[in-house]
Amino acid sequence: MMTRITEKMNASVVLDTLRHTDGYYITNTARDMSQSDYKNRILLHTDLLAAKAREESGYFSLEITGGASIHVDILRKQVDPFLKLKLLRKQMPDTMFQTLCRGVNLFGYRPYPQNVIRLTVREFAKYVDVWRTFDFMNHVPNMQAVFEEVAKAGKINEPCICFSTGPEHTNEYYVGKVQEIIDVTGPEIILCIKNHGGLGSPKRIGQLVNAIKQAYPELIIHYHGHNTDGNDIGRITAAVLNGAAIVDASDHAFTGFYGPPPILTVIQTLKDYDRVAVGINEEAVIRSSDVIRDQRQYYAQFEAQIKGFMPTVQIHKLPGGAMGSSLEQAAKGGFLDKMPDILHNELPKVQKELGNYWSVTPGSQILWTTAVSNVLDGDRYGNPSGDLKNLLLGKYGPFPFYRPADWIYEKAFGPDWEKVLEQEGGIENIEDMDIDKERQTLTGKLGKEPTEQQLVSYLQHPNDAVEFFKFEEKFGQSYVLPPAIFLRQGGFQLGETLVFRDHDGKEHLIEIGPSQQDDDGRTNVYLNVDHHQRTFIIEPETQAGAAAEATLSKNEIANLAKSGDIRALFGGNVYEISVETGQEVHAGDQVAVLEAMKMQTPVISETSGTVASIFAKTGQAVKPGDKLLQIDSDAR
Amino acid sequence: MKTKILVANRGEIAIRISRAIQELNYEAVAIYETPDRDSRHIRIADEAVWIGDGPRCDYLDIDKIITAAVHAGAIAIHPGYGFLAENPDFARACEDAGIIFIGPSSEVIDKLGNKVMAREIMAQAGIPMVPGTDNLKPGDEGLQEAIAFGKKYGYPIMLKATSGGGGRGIRRIEKESELAEQYPIARSEAKAAFNDDSVYIEKVVVRPKHVEVQIIADKTGKTIHLGTRDCSIQRRNQKLIEIAPAFHLSSELNKQICETAIQAAKAAGYFNAGTVEFLLDSDNSFYFMEINTRLQVEHTVTEMITGIDIVRTQIKLALGKELLFNQDHVQLRGHAIEMRINAEDPQNNFMPEGGKTVTVYRSPGGYGVRLDGFCYQGLTIPEAYDSLLVKLTVFGWSWNETVDRLKRCLTNFVITGPKTTIPFYLNLINHPDFKKGRFDTSFLDENEQLFEYVENASEVNKLARLIAEIHQNKQNTYAA
Repeated sequence: MMTRITEKMNASVVLDTLRHTDGYYITNTARDMSQSDYKNRILLHTDLLAAKAREESGYFSLEITGGASIHVDILRKQVDPFLKLKLLRKQMPDTMFQTLCRGVNLFGYRPYPQNVIRLTVREFAKYVDVWRTFDFMNHVPNMQAVFEEVAKAGKINEPCICFSTGPEHTNEYYVGKVQEIIDVTGPEIILCIKNHGGLGSPKRIGQLVNAIKQAYPELIIHYHGHNTDGNDIGRITAAVLNGAAIVDASDHAFTGFYGPPPILTVIQTLKDYDRVAVGINEEAVIRSSDVIRDQRQYYAQFEAQIKGFMPTVQIHKLPGGAMGSSLEQAAKGGFLDKMPDILHNELPKVQKELGNYWSVTPGSQILWTTAVSNVLDGDRYGNPSGDLKNLLLGKYGPFPFYRPADWIYEKAFGPDWEKVLEQEGGIENIEDMDIDKERQTLTGKLGKEPTEQQLVSYLQHPNDAVEFFKFEEKFGQSYVLPPAIFLRQGGFQLGETLVFRDHDGKEHLIEIGPSQQDDDGRTNVYLNVDHHQRTFIIEPETQAGAAAEATLSKNEIANLAKSGDIRALFGGNVYEISVETGQEVHAGDQVAVLEAMKMQTPVISETSGTVASIFAKTGQAVKPGDKLLQIDSDAR
Repeated sequence: MKTKILVANRGEIAIRISRAIQELNYEAVAIYETPDRDSRHIRIADEAVWIGDGPRCDYLDIDKIITAAVHAGAIAIHPGYGFLAENPDFARACEDAGIIFIGPSSEVIDKLGNKVMAREIMAQAGIPMVPGTDNLKPGDEGLQEAIAFGKKYGYPIMLKATSGGGGRGIRRIEKESELAEQYPIARSEAKAAFNDDSVYIEKVVVRPKHVEVQIIADKTGKTIHLGTRDCSIQRRNQKLIEIAPAFHLSSELNKQICETAIQAAKAAGYFNAGTVEFLLDSDNSFYFMEINTRLQVEHTVTEMITGIDIVRTQIKLALGKELLFNQDHVQLRGHAIEMRINAEDPQNNFMPEGGKTVTVYRSPGGYGVRLDGFCYQGLTIPEAYDSLLVKLTVFGWSWNETVDRLKRCLTNFVITGPKTTIPFYLNLINHPDFKKGRFDTSFLDENEQLFEYVENASEVNKLARLIAEIHQNKQNTYAA
């Protein structure tokens, strides 16, 4: 059978078609390309440009939501993740939409309560047809709530086995994992081999697909890989030759070094093996790239700091989705020179020490931050993040192969670590959230009843969602702006004309006029909006870089902390301020929690005294050296 | 030296009158209080006289205005509407100073301004009237009179201040038991507001339409009507939208109402332009309400369907000219709708938005569109005065055409800075009952959904603000 699969088919017809195909199908993983090679910043504007050609290309599915993209949608792209799906659906009526869901961690970095998981899945399942779900510990119970809600919604479950390499990662192990999944879901699924690092040789992948096919001849296999080492086409080819029915790739105009390989290359390669890409219109695949090629230049600022394929991924195993942000952190933190040591020595070592589990969100961030702090601080495991402690306590799930060594526990929890492990260890039963109460809180913040979708965004990212709703209210639907405007660096040219179509389809023309600063530090920006002169007054506090930035070294920050002047040690977001003004604190007390690279790090007071002032707010972004709070010591 | 006429008013109506004066090749003299020093009515006039710091007291100061007129050498004063327009003392002061008051005589203003006296005149002339009383006696005696009236005609009834007007000084009584409490309150309120505690009673006509007739009379007593207007859509007894001619009246009823209006004007010995207001009951019986002895805000709709410049005519009549046309010459054609675009928040009980600055003002134009306003980009709306920014009047040959045009105008009307009544009006004209002309004075009260709309700072202006920030900050800080 050589049928194109469309959104109009029901789930069982889709699975049946896949089971009986003579060729293979392709998923366009645009979401993963955006995440791996552009820090998730590909705008809806670009996806809408490509929508028509992608629709005509005849993919099995378009992965366009999920992973970190939902958070970035509201945080940096200022677009409602639901509106995005609605608008794309209008342009793409036949293409199934696919998401990447982190099981109990949904689209975030920490476990959510069951009722939040179910509500979120129900709401997204209105738009999403294929649910690729994984757990970084391959702990099947962590995915169960998602499986159930997807099945209830009549959508397609695509559970993953996360793949890695090493002596423990045998065919027997993975075949056993597949059985564990089928025991929960039943056989009406697509199984994804999630090779987020692009690990292993083509031969290894071929063997794995073959082993699973031998054990479950009826099982539909979807191979997902990354092109970090430049050889994912090889793995894809091996997967298809051994019986995988669907493979992942994306548009060649935007392919980079850490995401998916180009679709067209997959098609061309497999053609010589007499394998046909079912439903695919090659002309439309080429056209998709042609229509967006010109947009790539505006995303240059988000492409990775280090360019070129990275075959050393087979050593450090960082997933493609985390490459961009890791390299960015290294560049901003000024330790790019230490990267060879971190990537080639420390990271593989930490990986072995921490159980050789799968380096993917949020587990990959734990490995990465631990390796970075081990190298930068010199004291290995001396400054364990909250998330590392949770990992050691088994809160994400049991270690798949072996538990880390005792000395690591001792470093993290002190000499009484065994007691801590006994008392606090194991997966925590997270209590249901009072969703009605959250709805009321959000109503208070918005000044009106939120929609169900606003509530879902809020439950996942409370601070960022509220900031986004405020942005929407103030600036409207800004997804209509092309990256040439929305992501412009260095301002516009005097007299430059910007043309765009608004959410209602009306075309507008804005001409950039002069800017003038008044005596109060306000800037008047003159714009000619649709042939009418308008002045926009920009208050000094909303101007970036208004305060002169003094860069403090780590030593200076540490010295200031001793005098009670507590500053951010690294760039990130304030996750929590743990004290109030006037409160007594003792040296060693936690006064705040910072979050960076999705990892939480407590900020500890070096002095005893009283909290005199608090400068930072929860949710605020801070740079290294920014003031957090002031502790007046008792001596004074 | 050119003939000068002083305009004793401000805002849009001062501009409207100045234009007519200038078209007659006379000079317009404006007056202003300090908060109005940047007002457009001053710029449009040929000269302007500052009369004090105000607010609202100098525009009401008869002596100052007469002095200003004398100093400027004005031979006549047009009072506009509001302020001193229906104050007989002002008309009398003009007469005493030898200045022509553009309006009826002080005597006519006096007797028509007194509700009870006006009712007496109309009763004698056989004009149909809502059942009512004379001035009630003070204290318990008056209360007993009121109770007796309620027993005879039923409830609800209105307690009205004899010296009130313009929708002020009215209390609605739903049942007899409320009277004992409300009667003294109504009296003391009337005293406080109008320095006259006389009140009288009128029966309430439930769900009436407000229909009025524009009349115009010269000194020879020749009195002509310029057709009807429907002003049923009101909030708290204040008109928001006016339509000419009144909709859905049979031609006989229309004729009957207009002729009754002429009869009423003649009975009062009326001169110059005026408006006779009626309540139209659902059974088509109509009752005299009052005669407004001034130019009305909504005179524009009548001008649109008759082609007659009412203000020009007012001035010419006041200066002694006679009406050059007869009733037969007045042709009513098409429909006109006027909407008062106010700087108010309809969702917050029409709270005025005074003090805010108009950052964008972009008005519609084209066939059948008339704007009477004083608003401009950069205007900071004075808090001291009313919130009317501009009157949008549209004309169309058919009702549907007129509503379509109005919708187009409202959609293209962009005012940012203050909230305005525009989004509310858009909701209103999209209401099926409005489109079909099915509305009466209860329309707003019974259609609360009209207040449900999202205040829509236009999408392009929101995006332009974002672009301004991206430009200023050299990057999009919301995408960084």
